[in-house]
Amino acid sequence: MTETPTIEETDVNVDQKAKEAYFTAGQGQLIWARFKKQKAAMVGAGLLIVLILSGFFAPFLTPYDPTIAGRNKDYLNGAPNVPSFCDENGCSLRPFVYSFKRSRSIETNFRWVTTIDTSLEARRYVVFFPQGDEYKLLGMTFNTHLFGVDSGKIHIFGTDATGKDIYSRTLQAINTSLAVGTIGVFIAFVLALIIGGISGYYGGWIDSVLQMITDAVRTIPTIPLFMALAAFIPATWSSETRFLFISIILGFVGWPTLARRVRTHLLTERNQEYVLAAQLCGASAGHVIRRHLLPSFTSYIIVDLIISFPYMVLSETALSFIGLGLKDPVNSLGVMLQNVTSADVLLNYQWYFIPVFFFITLVLAFVFVGDGLRDAADPYADTKK
Amino acid sequence: MLFARFAITRAFLAMFTLILVSLIVFSLMELVPGDCAERYLAFKSSQGSAITIADIDAERVRLGLDRPYLVRWGSWIFNAFQGEFGDSCILRLNISELLGQKFWLSLAICLTSLLVAYLIAIPVGIISATSKSAVLNNSLRLVSYLGLAMPNFLLALMIMLFSTIYFGDTLTGLFSKEFRDAAWSYDRVKDFLSRAWLPVFILAWSATAFAIQTVRALMSDEVGKLYVLAASARGVSGRRLLWRYPARHSLGPIINSLGFDLNRIFNELPIVALILVLTEAGSLLYDALAASNDQQLAGAIIFMLTASIVTINFITDIILALTDPRVRRSILG
Repeated sequence: MTETPTIEETDVNVDQKAKEAYFTAGQGQLIWARFKKQKAAMVGAGLLIVLILSGFFAPFLTPYDPTIAGRNKDYLNGAPNVPSFCDENGCSLRPFVYSFKRSRSIETNFRWVTTIDTSLEARRYVVFFPQGDEYKLLGMTFNTHLFGVDSGKIHIFGTDATGKDIYSRTLQAINTSLAVGTIGVFIAFVLALIIGGISGYYGGWIDSVLQMITDAVRTIPTIPLFMALAAFIPATWSSETRFLFISIILGFVGWPTLARRVRTHLLTERNQEYVLAAQLCGASAGHVIRRHLLPSFTSYIIVDLIISFPYMVLSETALSFIGLGLKDPVNSLGVMLQNVTSADVLLNYQWYFIPVFFFITLVLAFVFVGDGLRDAADPYADTKK
Repeated sequence: MLFARFAITRAFLAMFTLILVSLIVFSLMELVPGDCAERYLAFKSSQGSAITIADIDAERVRLGLDRPYLVRWGSWIFNAFQGEFGDSCILRLNISELLGQKFWLSLAICLTSLLVAYLIAIPVGIISATSKSAVLNNSLRLVSYLGLAMPNFLLALMIMLFSTIYFGDTLTGLFSKEFRDAAWSYDRVKDFLSRAWLPVFILAWSATAFAIQTVRALMSDEVGKLYVLAASARGVSGRRLLWRYPARHSLGPIINSLGFDLNRIFNELPIVALILVLTEAGSLLYDALAASNDQQLAGAIIFMLTASIVTINFITDIILALTDPRVRRSILG
C-alpha cells in the first residue's frame, strides 16, 4: 500500500486553488458557475428539462393516443378521474378510479348522462406498464405505456368534446410547440446571423441600407403579417405541411430583433485590436467573422436564442388561437388554448384549462432560464454589484 | 441650422421607410389568393347572374388590375398618401368612410395602453433595478413575467366570465347599444370610457410586463457606471440621484423604441378585439385577413398603422435630438 502525500488544506491553499480554478476555467464553466448561483433560474431550468423530456417521451408517459384514434367515445367532456386510495368501501394499496356509465333513457329526458359507479366491484385499479396504443419513438415501435387501468380507461385530466384524453394531448402539444419554436428560432437565427453579420461587419452604407430594411420589417405588426401569410395556405394542405409552413413563417417574421443584436455585438467587437491583427495578417472577411468574431459572442447568441424561444411559442399560440395556425387534429399548445375559449367550457368543463398551466409554466421557465443565462454570460456581472 | 438639417434628413428617412413598408404591405396583399375582380363577381354570381371568364377579365380592366405590378403599387401609394384607399373588395364601400374614426379609436386605445404601461413600468423598473432586496426583486420579476406568459385572450376571457357572473354584464363592445351609431356627445364619450378601460387594461397588461423588463435592463446597465458613482461621491443620493443621472440616460432608448412598442400593442389588438367583440380597426383587420380575404381593406389598415408608427418614430427622433446632442452628432457626423 502506498501512502498518498496529504496536502494541508490551509486557507491560503484553498484560496489559491479557487483562484487557479477561476483563471483556468473555460467560458462554459464560468457561465455554469454563475448560473448555479441563481435560484430562480435553476428552478426554471429544472422545470424546463422536465417539460422537454415529458414532451419528448409523451407517447410513453401518456396512456392513450392523442388523436381521434385514441378517443374514448363513452366519455365525452368527461371530468378528470383522480386516482384515490380510500373511499367508504375501504382502502386499497393500489390506487383506483371509479367506473362511469353513459346512458340515456326517458328519465334523463333522452340526454346522455354519465353516472359514476362507486361500488367496490366497479373499481378500476391503476396498473403500470400496460400494453396499449402503438407509438413510434426513436424510430422504433412500442406499445408499453407508463400507466393505465386494468379495465376501461383513465383520464387524469379529463376528456374533450370528442373524447380525446386531455393529458395525452397536453404532453404531445408541448412536443409540437417546442418543435415549431425550434424550427422558427433556427430559421430566424440563420437569417439574423447573415443579415446582422453583414450589416455589423461592413458598416457604412451597407449597414445603413440593411438597417433601413430591418426597421421597415419591424414596423409591420407581426400578427397581420402572419395572417396575410397564413391566408396563403391552401385548405388542402395536410396538417404536417401546414405545421412546417407555420414554423417557417414564424422564422421569417422573427429575425429582425435577433439581427439587430448580432449587428450591435459585431459593431462593438469589430473595432477591437484582435480583429485588426487578423485583418493585417490577410484574413478574409468570412474568416474573421467565423473564426474571431462569432466565438467572441457565442454565449450571447445562445442567450438570445433562448430568450426568443418563448416569443415563438407565444406567436404560435396566438396564430393558432385566431384559427390561422395549426388546426385541431394537430396537438399544439395554441390549439389546446383555443379550446378553452367557449363559454360552455368556462362554465361547465373547467378541466380544459389544465393545458393553460402547462403553457404558462413552459413560457415562464424559458424566460427565467434565459434571464439567468443572460446574467451568467455577462463577464462583468460579478464586478458590477 | 444644424437642427433643421437633422430634422429634414430624418423626415426624408421616414418617408423612405414608409414607401419601403408600403411595398412590403402591397406585396403581401398580392400574396393573398384571388383578387378583387374575382371577389366582386363572386358576389354577383351568388346573386344569380351567370359569370364567365371574360366578365372577370373585363372587371380586372375596369379596376386597373391588368396593369403591371409596380404601376399598381405606384398608384396605390400615391392615393394612400392622400388618404384614399379605394373601395373594399367585399363590403363594396369606400374604405376611408368605412374606417373613418374606427382607426383613430383603435390608435387611441393602443396609445393609452402604452401610456399606462410606461407610467407603471418606469417607477417599478427603476425600483427593481436598484433595490438590493432579493425578495422584492424576484416577486416583481415573477409578476412581470406572468404578464408575458399569461396570454391576453385568456385574461380577457377570465374578466368577462367574472363580470358576467357578478355584474350580469359581459363588458363586450366599445359602446352600449343606444350609443353605437350616435354622434359624438358628452354622454357617448362617457359611455365609451366606461367600456374602453377593459381593452386598455388587457393590452397594457402584457405591455407593462415588457416595459418593466426594458426599463430594468437599461437601468441596471446605467447604475453601475462611473458618473453615478461620481455623483454619489459629491453627495447626491436617494431618489434625486436616480432621477437626475441614470434614469435620464436610460430613458433615451425607451423613447426611441416607442413606435415599436405601439406596434407590439397593436399586434395584440385583433385578438383582444375578437374576444371582446370590439368594433374597431383591429377587428376589421381580423375579418379582412382571416375571414374574407379583403386585401384592399387589410392593406389600408396595415398601411395606416405603419404610417402612425413611422410618424411616432420620427417625432421621438426629433425629441431625442432636442434633448440629447449626442444623437444629433451621430447622424450629422
